[in-house]
Amino acid sequence: MKDFDFIGHRKIFFTISLVLIGVILLAAIFFGVELDIQFKGGAIAEYTYTGELDENSVQSTAEAAIGRQVSVQKTQDMADGSSSIVITLASDAGLNVEDQEKLTSALQEAYADNSIHLLSVDSVEPTMGREFLMKSLLAVALASLLIVIYVAIRFRKIGGMSAGVMAVVALIHDVIMVFGVFVILRIPLNNNFMAVAITIIGYSVNDTIVIYDRIRENERLYRNKLSFHELVNKSIHQSFTRSLNTSITTVLAMLCVAVVAVVAGVDSIVSFAIPMIVGLVSGFYSTVFIANPLYVMWQDHKSKKRLAEKSAK
Amino acid sequence: MKRVGKPVFFIVALAIVLLSLLSVFGISTEYADKKNVYIKGASDIRLGIDIRGGVDVTFTPPEGVDATREQMASAEAVIQNRLVSLNITDSEVYTDYNNQRIIVRFPWKEDEADFNPEEAIKELGTTARLTFREGIGTDESGTPTGEIILEGKDVESATAGYVTTNSGTQQYVVSLKLYDSGKEKFAEATTRLAGTTTPISIWMDDTLISYPQVDEAITNGEAQISGNFTAQTATELASRINAGALPFALETENFRTIDPTLGSGALDAMLLAGVLALVLVCAFMIFKYRLPAVTACIALIGQIAGTIAATSGFFPFVSSFTLTLPGIAGIILAIGMGVDANIIAAERIKEEIRLGKTVDTSVRNGFKKAFSAVLDGNITIIIVAIVLLGAFGPPGSFFSTILSPVFFMFGPSASGSIYSFGYTLLVGVILNFIMGVGASQLMLKSISRFKCFRNPWLYGGKRGEKE
Repeated sequence: MKDFDFIGHRKIFFTISLVLIGVILLAAIFFGVELDIQFKGGAIAEYTYTGELDENSVQSTAEAAIGRQVSVQKTQDMADGSSSIVITLASDAGLNVEDQEKLTSALQEAYADNSIHLLSVDSVEPTMGREFLMKSLLAVALASLLIVIYVAIRFRKIGGMSAGVMAVVALIHDVIMVFGVFVILRIPLNNNFMAVAITIIGYSVNDTIVIYDRIRENERLYRNKLSFHELVNKSIHQSFTRSLNTSITTVLAMLCVAVVAVVAGVDSIVSFAIPMIVGLVSGFYSTVFIANPLYVMWQDHKSKKRLAEKSAK
Repeated sequence: MKRVGKPVFFIVALAIVLLSLLSVFGISTEYADKKNVYIKGASDIRLGIDIRGGVDVTFTPPEGVDATREQMASAEAVIQNRLVSLNITDSEVYTDYNNQRIIVRFPWKEDEADFNPEEAIKELGTTARLTFREGIGTDESGTPTGEIILEGKDVESATAGYVTTNSGTQQYVVSLKLYDSGKEKFAEATTRLAGTTTPISIWMDDTLISYPQVDEAITNGEAQISGNFTAQTATELASRINAGALPFALETENFRTIDPTLGSGALDAMLLAGVLALVLVCAFMIFKYRLPAVTACIALIGQIAGTIAATSGFFPFVSSFTLTLPGIAGIILAIGMGVDANIIAAERIKEEIRLGKTVDTSVRNGFKKAFSAVLDGNITIIIVAIVLLGAFGPPGSFFSTILSPVFFMFGPSASGSIYSFGYTLLVGVILNFIMGVGASQLMLKSISRFKCFRNPWLYGGKRGEKE
């Protein structure tokens, strides 16, 4: 491990990442990318019940009550074993409060013995959903832009713009991985996705910055003694333990959240914690194995060009 | 450089323990069922509706209606008024004037089994019934009984203003303008009541909002209500009267109700996750970094306590903040990220020790060399947290105001739970500077002066090395 050449083995790491990105894109094409009703509009109501319920019969009762097509799904709470039905409205239009009341009373009347109880309703108007989506995407773009500017300003001395661009390549890589979790686990994209993506953008760059910081320091110490390739490799080695250990503590903390959330059935947190963990791991990976090798390639390319220009004269 | 004294460790550690105890338990006295809170503890934190259940609803004027700023303010006044009359005291109301939306969040009412959220939403959204009545009498149930003089549809507008009276004093008044439909009825009533002790009472639904005496007959449909108004109370009354004259009812296509049973287990689960995360992270740190990790863990507890305090409204200068499930996740995430500063420093100290430097020099250099990396890293997280706060915050909040040049064309967020995440992340990172960098450095520099803590092994040196 001591003498591992991170830069020299870059092709292996690039391949791993490209394959993963390929898999995610294929999954996105075949499974499709679903948007949560927060973003596309629509309505979902969840009711708890006891005893037995027939999904088809619930569906026709619900459709008769509000005059709109619905789909019905039964779920079981892992934590306490209670059962519930989830009624999703087919179109993207929201539900008004009057219809919501009609739905509840129709169900309670039709299945009087099942002690139907409303657990949650979520209704979003399509125009507001789309607006929220655009706003979230803009937030992701803004976060990325601010980070690039920050990195570029902070690292003028070590090829600021190129370092910044590489850091951004790494964070796009990480956001794709987070996106992949949602696609592969078939979780509709929701505001958790946006929150995780934005957080990972900051975290991933944070990680990269610590290594750049070391490169900057080593440049002062070893200027003209080491090639750029060696310099970066040395810097990665010196900060590797730190990157690894920080990732371990952060992942450990999120893992506690994920495990507890899965066991207790806190769905809103499961779709937050698991993508976050993947993003954290990816953030570590992309910093060490993607951003820095790419950065060296860029700098080598530049100096080769400079040499070629000199010899041409 | 001046050396850090031996007692510093104990002072800092004690301060952190005190802060933790205070921020968790607070100080309150219970006297005859009345709780007096002097310092807010963890139990005073306002929890989001995803934890305790409740309603999150966005009201808009009906399609095709372009409401004015005043009308939106009136609509908000109606909602505020209704919330009070529904006995919902712990609500959050945000009005976005540009996009004509009013967001209302209120928790499930405690100890009320049959609270009907749909009824509550409907009641909040309907137009208020404004009546001007003779006298202020009510029946036993609180319904006004006085004869109706005017209704909402008779009132054209009410405006708050500032006038100089005949006697030369200046005062705030509320000016009323009536439609023709109301002019005659009002003229008749004021002629009859002028000079008597029977006031004309003004009601919104069943709430009495004003009861001016009639000084003189008013026949031109323009009246002034005067009294001990301030600028604020005058505007408030004008808004309330206008609310009764609103030409539209509010619509609700966007709403979310959550039963309290759904989130009740979630809070305990998240607390468990938090404790687990803290224990595991500390165990890992101490295993890896020995003594520097011990001070780091004490500092970490201080960071968590500080975050709790910044959420509960413990500090007088930081107002309380609604805590949601993602908000708790943010605190836990900050536990993992927070020790990063200590890891960077501890790694540096280890390097210095292994280069053969003394404990004092190593500790000093370690923190010094780590600082710029820690600063850079934390600033990126702060940038991210501010974007989160700006994008997902309610209208009028500090961060959404400073980012409004970017997000100006978008309305407020459909969901408030992420806002809390941004907040706890931001607070966690800022406290990390104070605790993870400041406090833990002080503690380590102080404790390293004790003879028993001068073994280089404790700082990551090889076993058996002597200073």
